[in-house]
Amino acid sequence: MYVIGKREFISLFKGVKSCIVIAILLLTSYYSAKFADFLMSGINLSAKEAENIHTVGLLGLLLLLGQLFIAGLSHDTINQETHERTMRFLVTRTSRTSILLGKFFGIWMFWFICLTVSFLLISIFAQKIDFFIFSQTISLVTIQISFTILLSVLIPKPGFTMFLGIVFGLAFPILGFWVVLTSNVWVSWTKFFTPFYYLEREDFSFLVIFILSGIMLFFANFIFKRREC
Amino acid sequence: MIAIETTQLKKSYGSVPIVKGIDLIVEKGEIFGFLGRNGAGKSTFINMLTGIIQPSSGTYSLLSVKGPNDQVKKRVGVMPDYSTLYTSLTAMEHLKYLSALSGKAAGKEWCLEVLKLVGLESDARKKVAKFSFGMKKKLGIALAIIHDPELIFLDEPTSGLDAESAIHIHKLIRGLQKRGKTIFMTSHNLAEVEKLCTRIAIMKEGEIVNSGTMDELRSFYRSTIKVKIKHSPVPKSEQMNLHQWLESAGTDIEMNDPYLTITVKDEKRIAEIIRAFQQCRADVLRVEVEEPSLEDIFLDE
Repeated sequence: MYVIGKREFISLFKGVKSCIVIAILLLTSYYSAKFADFLMSGINLSAKEAENIHTVGLLGLLLLLGQLFIAGLSHDTINQETHERTMRFLVTRTSRTSILLGKFFGIWMFWFICLTVSFLLISIFAQKIDFFIFSQTISLVTIQISFTILLSVLIPKPGFTMFLGIVFGLAFPILGFWVVLTSNVWVSWTKFFTPFYYLEREDFSFLVIFILSGIMLFFANFIFKRREC
Repeated sequence: MIAIETTQLKKSYGSVPIVKGIDLIVEKGEIFGFLGRNGAGKSTFINMLTGIIQPSSGTYSLLSVKGPNDQVKKRVGVMPDYSTLYTSLTAMEHLKYLSALSGKAAGKEWCLEVLKLVGLESDARKKVAKFSFGMKKKLGIALAIIHDPELIFLDEPTSGLDAESAIHIHKLIRGLQKRGKTIFMTSHNLAEVEKLCTRIAIMKEGEIVNSGTMDELRSFYRSTIKVKIKHSPVPKSEQMNLHQWLESAGTDIEMNDPYLTITVKDEKRIAEIIRAFQQCRADVLRVEVEEPSLEDIFLDE
């Protein structure tokens, strides 16, 4: 698990796509923090909202485009290896659960480092680190990574997961916010399965997102164990 | 000690059976050859044993550990068929990455040693994208042995290799056997299997139709023996008698002095033919017996 995770982690830092994503994260963090005071002067915010204004840009970016970024970088983490049959070298050496968890933790570590650097950058302006928002952001990224891995296990063709990654990346925030805000009883129950509902609440209910991630990984592992490589 | 044991191992895709219940035992230290035409189910069988696919039913054990078992994978080396390598990695990086995954991270010295064994020592730092097919094949073998496994599966280890490289790999396989390793290999090269393997199984349409040592297979298929005899001239007065006797002894008789070619059903007949020549006042100068080759056996099947 460690060996696969390390390779996945290092390979994510290579390549143009990763550099662009890291640059977007850092620039968003920098400018949203820098112009936080300017935003506060223009909009009427509650005390709590004003307190978190420095992180609004980063959290907003990840809520809207996080799934797109993660899918863009890691949509083919499993199916590319299956497609090219390099997966055969892995499954004949270690357990499939180790492969899946190794891939997950490699990607998770990449985003953890990127977000930690972004929050440290924000802390320069805010003069504090908001661990609550940081934890919420990590929970959001965790479920997005789990979903990306589940897609990569479910769909054998890397080209198709790229397409679906874009579709879901754009549709999820829209649908997510809609089911959270709608009064339509036929769809509003689905809010419990989206991270947006738990992130909207200002308590520790965001921890449920980690449980949802675990369920997704469990299903991904269940399917992956039965897949031919 | 048993290296591989399977009991009624089956694989089907929908209602199509690919492997129809294989019972097989491979002893430790053997080089076991698995033969069969394309689509016979050889690779499917290996893939089930190595965890690439799941059997539909039946049981198997590797190195006396009931499969599927992730721990035993560390003691098994696999060179799968049709596998591509990581094009962005060098040969050395491949060996380091995959040996670490097997739980025995290989140092630089050992990696170079293994690359030398397969004849890739000068290409250690070269990216695999620049490798030829033969070089990739050699690296595949290096990857199968890098963690010093006890049991090694080689799926078509020399296909696509030039003659010199194939001989090099043959030596390597024999060397591995001398070090106590068990090798389970498939091949289309019948001469290679005949030369290397201590035991052979022939697979047809998902079933093992015969297995055993080369001698056992030969005796099983030795229903006809082709004999070529070089003899001194047979006196004209005896020629008719000899020919009549030979017609009762065998078939496909060809007499072109000083050679006689005849096909007999029993090897005892060979001694009788020699005696018949002596009775006809002709000396037998040389006797050549054509054993059925693995190719003959394979084609018979």
